Amino acid sequence: MRAIDAGILVCGECHELNRQEDQERAGQTQLCTRCGAHLHARKPDSLRRTWALLLTAMLMYIPANVLPIMTVYSLGKGQPDTIMSGVIELINYGMLPIAIVVFVASILVPTFKLVGIALLLFSVQRKQPLSARQRSLMYRFIEWIGRWSMLDIFVITILVALVKFGNLASIEAGFGAVAFCSVVVLTMLAAVAFDPRLIWDNTQTDQTD
Amino acid sequence: MLDTAGETSLTDMPLNRLVACHECDLLMPKPQLAIGEKAGCPRCGYELFRHTSQVVRRSLALVIAALLLFIPACFLPIMEINVLGQTSLDTVWSGVKALYEAGGILQSIAVVVFLSSMVIPLFKLLIQFLVLSSIRFDAGRSYGLFLYRVYQHMREWGMLEVYLMGILVSIVKLIDIAKPSIGLGLVCFVSLLLVQVWLEATMEPHQIWEALAEGYTDESH
Repeated sequence: MRAIDAGILVCGECHELNRQEDQERAGQTQLCTRCGAHLHARKPDSLRRTWALLLTAMLMYIPANVLPIMTVYSLGKGQPDTIMSGVIELINYGMLPIAIVVFVASILVPTFKLVGIALLLFSVQRKQPLSARQRSLMYRFIEWIGRWSMLDIFVITILVALVKFGNLASIEAGFGAVAFCSVVVLTMLAAVAFDPRLIWDNTQTDQTD
Repeated sequence: MLDTAGETSLTDMPLNRLVACHECDLLMPKPQLAIGEKAGCPRCGYELFRHTSQVVRRSLALVIAALLLFIPACFLPIMEINVLGQTSLDTVWSGVKALYEAGGILQSIAVVVFLSSMVIPLFKLLIQFLVLSSIRFDAGRSYGLFLYRVYQHMREWGMLEVYLMGILVSIVKLIDIAKPSIGLGLVCFVSLLLVQVWLEATMEPHQIWEALAEGYTDESH
């Protein structure tokens, strides 16, 4: 049985249970008796907000991968690096383990997140092939892994601060980094806007109790 | 849907004997846990809550340790490189500054990095400290409740562990060209990270919320 069926609202912030009051005073949301947060049975406008953030992230995903994220200047010559060329360069230097870490964090994870959140949204809105349990695992994974994509941004920050030797060698960040950073932040926000309880609504067959 | 009798009794039970899964909304009678045990949702597997002993005291000790490490971790040099006689060093703060000075749209990344590697981790620790103190000294609990709500929204936006990974990747990238040497700042940063992870594992939100709302006695763990 779901809490919503029992007329109980779970506070989104402190997880306290609250009995739903009569909705006679429409337009006024109930407040949590423990922490005072606004109560909603499900996050308001969850699907629409998640879609909006996800679509924006998808748009930014293109410049993030095409434009250079940083340019390495040495002896006056500049060599722009995109995310992918950075990974290839690491492989060429024979640093395979680090290349794999960067590849996973900067290419695999953002792509997986965009596809994964879109799949979750489709699955909530339509019939879908994955079971609720699989989808909730996927959601938890997306939520957990999201922040790790910031890796490349931090690397750029450190390199820009460290490598500044005038004409000899210096590193500049590029617009690709801005786009990439916004993809990471937008997909994290999309994961926050998504309400995982929607996955379980209308899936009575998955119940184990 | 099979056990109708059980369901009506679930609806009639007082709220403090029930618990609902935050991820899938499954309602169930609240399990009573012994110290060190944890409860998981039977339907989706999400961890409902744990029961840790001495939560407030242990967390308070950890949060103070983390706060002491914070300033050296951010402002002492993480590493130093030497190219043809010129040296250059990097701190968490100098990274933010260098990006910001690049100007233009790059300043937006500098702001994100500043927030996720310095401001939010610091605010999280300060809030944890204030919340725990308000429980420990039984003063200003209503502020404590409000601050802890703010904390819930900041949680995943502090990215110290990702930053550490960034430091490691940078070291590897520079190792052939410039022979980076590690500074004291990195030691403080790693310690801060370890203490913070430990703190997060100790400071069980469920128990903190209850302590904030209901009053705290030292004997009741």
